[in-house]
Amino acid sequence: MAAAQAGDAQAYDSLLRAALPMLRIIARRRIRDPAEAEDAVQDALLTIHRLRDTYDPGRPIRPWLVAITERRAIDRLRRSGRQAGRETPIEDFGETLSDAAANRGEAKVAAAELRAAVAALPQAQRTALGLAKLEDLPLAEASARSGMSVGALKVATHRAVKALRRRLGVEE
Amino acid sequence: MEAQLRSEELIEQLASGLRPVRRMAPPAWQAGLWLALAVTAIGLAVLIFGLRHDLGARLRLPQEVVQWLASVGTGICAALAAAMLARADRSPAWGLLPLPPLALWLASLGWGCLADVARLGPIEGQLGTSWGCLRFILLLGAPLAAALLLLLRHAGPVRPRPVLLLGALASAALCSAGLTLFHHLDAAVMVLLWHGGAALLLLALTAGLGDRLLLRPSAARRPG
Repeated sequence: MAAAQAGDAQAYDSLLRAALPMLRIIARRRIRDPAEAEDAVQDALLTIHRLRDTYDPGRPIRPWLVAITERRAIDRLRRSGRQAGRETPIEDFGETLSDAAANRGEAKVAAAELRAAVAALPQAQRTALGLAKLEDLPLAEASARSGMSVGALKVATHRAVKALRRRLGVEE
Repeated sequence: MEAQLRSEELIEQLASGLRPVRRMAPPAWQAGLWLALAVTAIGLAVLIFGLRHDLGARLRLPQEVVQWLASVGTGICAALAAAMLARADRSPAWGLLPLPPLALWLASLGWGCLADVARLGPIEGQLGTSWGCLRFILLLGAPLAAALLLLLRHAGPVRPRPVLLLGALASAALCSAGLTLFHHLDAAVMVLLWHGGAALLLLALTAGLGDRLLLRPSAARRPG
């Protein structure tokens, strides 16, 4: 460290590398989450770097490194403790807004698109679709109500579904 | 999490940008430097206001002498403790150093109150206001405390709060000792109230404002 204070980058690099396993052990002992512990180690490295002029070469280096790492680990633990009390992990909820009605936006948009697509169909196809698919009537009854032949109904329904698929982008 | 910088890479970066630094003076030397500054500032104030007329008589009372020495001792010990605690590897036990003189100081003030009650009667008769004491300790103590914290700003990432409190205590104790030299206050309860009150106020002030001085992550010293 004395060499590092004089500006010897090589000595500094090897010192920090040699100390890294020890710093990790200290951080892991305090913080269970490995990623969080590694963050604490990096905080400690930054603090060591910032305070490197306060190290007294007449004293052993290990307690100095240990003290700084302990401090950063405790700081990180406190910060995450505060955060946990204030924040709710968002993955636990499928919805992004607390008001339930506010999360139906997507469904509403989809419904509006579908309605517009149906409205754009030719009259015959729209009637056939409405009777055969929405009201789910047997073909004979649908034919009687609409005055279309069963074959024409079948063709119109098929074309309507195909047109909707094309329009809504789910063409197979 | 995957995009995170690895610690080994961080070490590489820190080492590659390494510049030589001047080693910081030992903590005892820093404490001494600040004490010299404080003694000069308070000495100047005493020179300006002049010594109190009854100082000679006061110094013949052993209890007064003990009280004065205890306040000076509190200031010195608190300054030294603050400088020690500002270093990461020094024992936290240094924080206990100013407690014995502080206890002696407060005890002698308390004892003085009791003695005054025995001598002069009920304590209500001795109460008065002394805004001068408060003003002196705050006006001189606050810059002194700020100077000490500036000197010890490397405590920020290590032990900011104990150093803040010890710095304020050191300033308040020394200012109180200086004040005793030129300001005429007879009743011990007044000293306790106005010196002690001012010390507490300075402590609160430092705790409130000092956070900005010591707790800003990289204002005092940027990495590099």
